[in-house]
Amino acid sequence: MPDFLYVHIPFCIKKCLYCDFLSVTYNESLAKAYTDALCKELILKKDIAGQLKTVYIGGGTPSILPEECFGQLFKCLKNNFKFSDLPEMTVEANPGTVDKSKIGAMFSIGVNRLSIGVQSFNDDELRTLGRIHTSKEAEDAVRIIKNSGIDNFSVDLIYGIPGQTLDSWRDTLSKAMEFSPNHISSYELTLEKGTPLYEMIKSEETNPPSPASVASRCDFAKGGMGGFLANIKMPDEELILEMYGYAIDHLRGKGYEHYEISNFARHGFRCIHNLNYWDGGEYVGAGAGAHSFIRGFRLKNTDDIRRYIKDLNKGITPEAESTEIKRDDAIKEFIFLNLRKTEGISLAKAEEFGLNLPGVCRELIEDGHLEMEGDYLRLTRKGIPISNTIIISLFERLGLD
Amino acid sequence: MSKNIRNFSIIAHIDHGKSTIADRLLEYTGALSAREMQAQVLDSMDLERERGITIKAHSVRLLYKADDRKEYILNLIDTPGHVDFSYEVSRSIASCEGALLVVDASQGVEAQTLANAYLAVEHDLEMIPVINKIDLPAAEPEKTKEQIEDAIGLDCSEAILASAKEGIGTKEILEAIVEKIPPPTGEDDKPLKALLFDSWFDNYQGVIVLVRVFDGTVRAGKKIKMMATGNIFEVAQVGIFSPKMQPSEKLSSGEVGYVIAGIKSVTDTRIGDTITDVDIPAQEPCPGYKDIKPMVFCGLYPTIPHEYDNLRDALNKLRLNDSSFNYEPETSFALGFGFRCGFLGLLHMEIIKERLEREFDLSLLSTAPTVVYRVTKTGGEVIHIENPALLPDKYEIIEEPFVLVTIFVPKDFIGPILDLCQEKRGVQKNFIFIGKDKIKVEYELPLNEILWDFYDRLKSISKGYASMDYEFLGFRESDLVKLNILINGEIVDALSLIVHKEKSYYKGRELTEKLRGIIPRQMYEVVIQATIGSKIIARESVRAMRKDVLAKCYGGDITRKRKLLEKQKEGKKRMKQIGRIELPQEAFLAVLKVK
Ligand SMILES: Nc1nc2c(ncn2[C@@H]2O[C@H](COP(=O)(O)OP(=O)(O)OP(=O)(O)O)[C@@H](O)[C@H]2O)c(=O)[nH]1
Ligand code: SF4
Ligand SMILES: [Mg+2]
Repeated sequence: MPDFLYVHIPFCIKKCLYCDFLSVTYNESLAKAYTDALCKELILKKDIAGQLKTVYIGGGTPSILPEECFGQLFKCLKNNFKFSDLPEMTVEANPGTVDKSKIGAMFSIGVNRLSIGVQSFNDDELRTLGRIHTSKEAEDAVRIIKNSGIDNFSVDLIYGIPGQTLDSWRDTLSKAMEFSPNHISSYELTLEKGTPLYEMIKSEETNPPSPASVASRCDFAKGGMGGFLANIKMPDEELILEMYGYAIDHLRGKGYEHYEISNFARHGFRCIHNLNYWDGGEYVGAGAGAHSFIRGFRLKNTDDIRRYIKDLNKGITPEAESTEIKRDDAIKEFIFLNLRKTEGISLAKAEEFGLNLPGVCRELIEDGHLEMEGDYLRLTRKGIPISNTIIISLFERLGLD
Repeated sequence: MSKNIRNFSIIAHIDHGKSTIADRLLEYTGALSAREMQAQVLDSMDLERERGITIKAHSVRLLYKADDRKEYILNLIDTPGHVDFSYEVSRSIASCEGALLVVDASQGVEAQTLANAYLAVEHDLEMIPVINKIDLPAAEPEKTKEQIEDAIGLDCSEAILASAKEGIGTKEILEAIVEKIPPPTGEDDKPLKALLFDSWFDNYQGVIVLVRVFDGTVRAGKKIKMMATGNIFEVAQVGIFSPKMQPSEKLSSGEVGYVIAGIKSVTDTRIGDTITDVDIPAQEPCPGYKDIKPMVFCGLYPTIPHEYDNLRDALNKLRLNDSSFNYEPETSFALGFGFRCGFLGLLHMEIIKERLEREFDLSLLSTAPTVVYRVTKTGGEVIHIENPALLPDKYEIIEEPFVLVTIFVPKDFIGPILDLCQEKRGVQKNFIFIGKDKIKVEYELPLNEILWDFYDRLKSISKGYASMDYEFLGFRESDLVKLNILINGEIVDALSLIVHKEKSYYKGRELTEKLRGIIPRQMYEVVIQATIGSKIIARESVRAMRKDVLAKCYGGDITRKRKLLEKQKEGKKRMKQIGRIELPQEAFLAVLKVK
């Protein structure tokens, strides 16, 4: 039985320009109706879950919820689920939506880990991303959390932002270090089709803007509306690689373990909830668009928030897409998920799948893309940035279609 | 009976309006109802409709009640105008007594006007000049007549002025066909003698052949014999195209129609063969056709290796419908098992490849086209090299095909055209005025030089007004070398070419550069080298890929990540694996991009 629970809160103050998560503009009455529905879904699913080791409330911007909604949600969890000792209880929080009292309230009801969506400590970059907050507001948010006495929080950062330089990335990292977080996520910005940022970049690739229009855009951006400062294009890949390399070296130097492609933690502060995904474990998801993995099926709740609420008001579980993970798919998942962890794939476990990995990846090892240590096969520093290519090559070598 | 039959072809330079005139004739004689009518209705192949050109000759029977109040059977054959398909024209001409020579009044006489007219003259066909498109503002019917008289020596005093677009001259054309084209001379009582001039494979009926009966009759139940192959069949059905397939009781002397005779195997028929009676055979076969030799060759390989047998089967069947290409199995280190195929030109090659892919649902990879070379080996043995990779290291003599190129061009553009021919190693052979404004020049040129961009440049220099035709002259010794392409140190045989020594360095550099642009970055650095003998003349490299997108993987959406990987993997399937490197299909055609 899955011992991991994910809860999705699909509301934000305003959509960021790069965002392709399921999230809509916050309004209080919708949020309340949603919380009611969420509690109904949790009750319907209570027997699917075992003794919860983690609860992860992600979004969207969960921290936007009013205190009473949090109260309602946690009460529902406590009344209906069993918990293991000291479960990890994470909430994602965004600067501009937290204050002292809300943080205090969260801790008092059992939240013990926060993941703060800082993304950058550079105002230009935050504007390019279309975030709602300034770097100053981001600092304030981290400070409030830090001062509230909680030590398990993650500062989440993004690199590879248009206009970002290696220097500004260094500055963002060292600013983060000032708060001495026990966990750091550092994700490369991915351009997702359909997002405003994607459209903008594609259109500028085809018609570079005139200097005049760039100038007027700067004025617009300075008005604080969010937008772009200069001719906007993705940083080139060498720079992105440097940023990534810098983060790894710098954070390791500061005593962080690089435990997953994009995640760093001090000893004992890895995110247990996310590790479960990469370990291929089962989990229950609740909320619109939430994913579950139960008994060999991957399920995804409907993305349609109103539909979600309606279904639950009728007392039925929300509509969900389901994909059965057959043997080949299970092997593929096993490989690509485990390779995300710096520890790598356990060869013993691979053998349980009937895979002879050392046999098929000799070349990849010789070329320095993969390495073996003890029972584990893992990506090297050279291999990590081209992990997709290596994974595909492994699929081919294993005859997986 | 055969006195009221007229067999004729419509011939012209490309785009001068043959198929559109055929439309008007079909319409006028009521062969098709208004509802069934569409533009260039005889161009029935999808490819023909998409490209707006005729690729295959199409025949159709019309019934026409003439001014003399008699009813005539008209067998019309619409032919293609592009030079690559001139074989279709010669096949059609052999089964007719007359031809409409169509000339676009705004363009005048062009290269294939002349070439096709000569074919008709050779076969003693009665030619009726038709000046088409007189509706165009730029039409100059008088000038056009003058050019026809000058270039072909055909009397144009009674030339028909027509506009196929507006239906002008349709009746005049029909009357001229009846009046001027002689009826066929064959006799029904003589032993059967019919020319097999087209065939195709039908999934239900097997092989269908199209014949022109010269003597005798053919009907269901008759035992027939193919004179060249000696195969014997029993006729199951005969009929005509009007333009739909329509069974009839018999085909008599002078008639054109189809024969179905339980021919199962595509190798049992040969276009140009003569069909006769088993019991009382004809004395001698019809003259048949000149054997035509493909000039351009390329390798065709299935992208999925196990489709090799399907490809062979498809080639077999398609060859039945187009006997002007040929194929032989070949093996490439880089590409595996495939076929070396010969074509009449680049358009022909493109069309055959596309027909194979569409009509037989195959996915094919083609290597760069090449001409055929004649090589005398050190021992004196002479071989023909259709695949540059097979050129031996040592040989006595290497010769390349030369052609006589005929260019028609308005006199204003002649200067740059002469420069172009010079640049391509041409030797001028002839220069004459046709009418007052047109010039016909003839050049001897290596075929290899005119195959690639020559035609495009000719067209652009002359704002589209120049046209060209070429005929094979023979092999001539040239200073040629083999250029090999190495990918990470290994020769990729499918990329080798034979080039003129003077241009070899330039080609090597250009080709490696083009390949660098085409080959995507991959896990390993890709080094591309061009060599002549053991000498490296150019080198480029594609840096190893340093990163892909490190897409996030959280929130439990694992399926999406898996699908993304699968999609990326799918993209790789369309590439050809050469050692550890993957080459996209375009790489094999990179040489076409080298000017
Ligand atoms: N204005 C005008 N256009 C015409 C006339 N006849 C044909 N066309 C146009 O000329 C183009 C070529 O006509 P086709 O009938 O396909 O020419 P074709 O000779 O059969 O061409 P190929 O079979 O490819 O050699 C088409 O766009 C026709 O619509 C005409 O009398 N007047
Ligand atoms: S805060 Fe996160 S979920 Fe909300 S809009 Fe921005 S990127 Fe999307
Ligand atoms: Mg046509």
